[in-house]
Amino acid sequence: MNLGVDLTFLEFLASLPALVEWNDFTVGLVAFAVKFAILVGGLLQLPPLLVWIERRVPALMQRRRGPNRVGFFKWRLYGLMQSLADTIKLIFKEEVVPDGAHKVFYHLAPVFCVFPAFLVACAIPYGPDLLVFGHKIPLSVVRLDVGFLFILAISSLAVYGVSLAGWASNNKYSLMGSLRASAQMISYEIPLGMSLIPIVLIYGTLDLGKIVEAQTSLIHWGVFAAPFSFMIFLICMFAETNRAPFDLAEAEGELVAGFHTEYNSAKFAAFFLGEYVSMFVLSCLAATVFFGGWQVPFVPYETIVALAGSPNIAALAGIMMLLLKASFFMWVYIWVRWTLPRFRYDQLMSLGWKFMLPIGLANVVGTAVVLAVLRFK
Amino acid sequence: MEALNLMPEILFYIISGMVLVSSVMVVASRNPITSAIFLVVDLFFVAALYASLGADFTAAVQVLVYAGAIVVLFVFVIMLLNLKPEALRGFRFTVGEALVLLITLTGFVIIATELAHAPPDIASPGNLGAAAIELAGGNTFVVGMRMFTAFLWPFEIASVLILLAIVACVMVAKKDKKSGLKGHIQSSGGN
Repeated sequence: MNLGVDLTFLEFLASLPALVEWNDFTVGLVAFAVKFAILVGGLLQLPPLLVWIERRVPALMQRRRGPNRVGFFKWRLYGLMQSLADTIKLIFKEEVVPDGAHKVFYHLAPVFCVFPAFLVACAIPYGPDLLVFGHKIPLSVVRLDVGFLFILAISSLAVYGVSLAGWASNNKYSLMGSLRASAQMISYEIPLGMSLIPIVLIYGTLDLGKIVEAQTSLIHWGVFAAPFSFMIFLICMFAETNRAPFDLAEAEGELVAGFHTEYNSAKFAAFFLGEYVSMFVLSCLAATVFFGGWQVPFVPYETIVALAGSPNIAALAGIMMLLLKASFFMWVYIWVRWTLPRFRYDQLMSLGWKFMLPIGLANVVGTAVVLAVLRFK
Repeated sequence: MEALNLMPEILFYIISGMVLVSSVMVVASRNPITSAIFLVVDLFFVAALYASLGADFTAAVQVLVYAGAIVVLFVFVIMLLNLKPEALRGFRFTVGEALVLLITLTGFVIIATELAHAPPDIASPGNLGAAAIELAGGNTFVVGMRMFTAFLWPFEIASVLILLAIVACVMVAKKDKKSGLKGHIQSSGGN
């Protein structure tokens, strides 16, 4: 392609960086765009993979075969291509909008579900700083002083997706499912927030990056500093994402499929996407807050930098470490789903308000008292 | 690079434009659910306004408390009551409504003239820029210190006030004991 001047398109592209004045701001802007694109691209790969795992793992547990047919020619790939086939089917399926649905909110609800999940994923620190051409680039899409509050605030917006989906479908099962789901999400948000306060007290910051940097060795990990917090967080993780054993929102026996009963094709897939992305985000958060985030156990960051000779390789190791820790929690999600039966709705509510909340409050007060005694001057 | 220096100002106008549009939509839309959702959008952009002024903590709390909790309850109530979209009434006002409109417009004009005479940098953080916030120990630290020292008394009074409101709501919602029916609040929450 010739642009009229004696410059090919590739030469034009190569000359672009020279036209821009490279200071911290422009580097940050480009880095932001690149990081955001990689993150969104990566997160979109999650659901097919997780759906495959979620079919193969219970098959293993229940001594069945699970999907094992779809593949290329003679390579079956353990049925991995089943997810690809399902995705194609979901996208090209005919879309049916129920009569009497509120058209605008019916179409908007999946967006309300997906948008907060992706936004929250932007605040997770995925690794230590990269060093590109002398510029430090933090490995989270946005680094905030109030990262903690940002995550809690944005994830609390996910309720709207669920409640609007149920209401706009004009179906009583959808409405009941959405009321259950949103009441559950609001109830468990409180102990979830409570469980994170001791962490803030211990590390003295709301910046997730600094919390990870403080967890240099195993004994400094949040899970040992605040074990009760971790237990509460782990239970709330399941309730927040409406996953089994707290998946009453879509209890098939009672509510058809809950708030997404009337959804099909790509919009149904969007709810899946939202659920899996928020599972991933909460897994990352659990790893970040309680298990040292991108810190490699037993090997301090400085040692890796000294061994590898470059902070960028250490950053890569950090990303791998965080993803490894997060995958463990994703595994726990699936493991629990196929192990524990579903709770009853009143059991769920009394667990949340009568046990989790008081334990969470006692945990906050207890940690504060212990810290005040330890730090007394 | 001229355009980059103007970025905060451009951002300010975009965000405040969104705040204005969504605020108007809250009162102008006929469907109560639409109003509630526009209220969420409104609160979200007000939070963005706080964030653009460097008040990250206030912004996060704004979204967490108002958009994430309070309006959710509004939406719940509207859904359960199943309110119908209000019919448009055209431009007919009662005397009271006209009075309210008049007072509002007067207030708007007063504020607008005051703002026109205010120093030009009223919309910018001024000497409370990012560096000054960092020096003071960060947003959250400063807000926490002020709230639990200088403003402890008003802060505690406000929480007592909210507690009173909750108790009052429970009293109003509670059904008469003599009727033999348990109130809604007592029966929810299980065994």
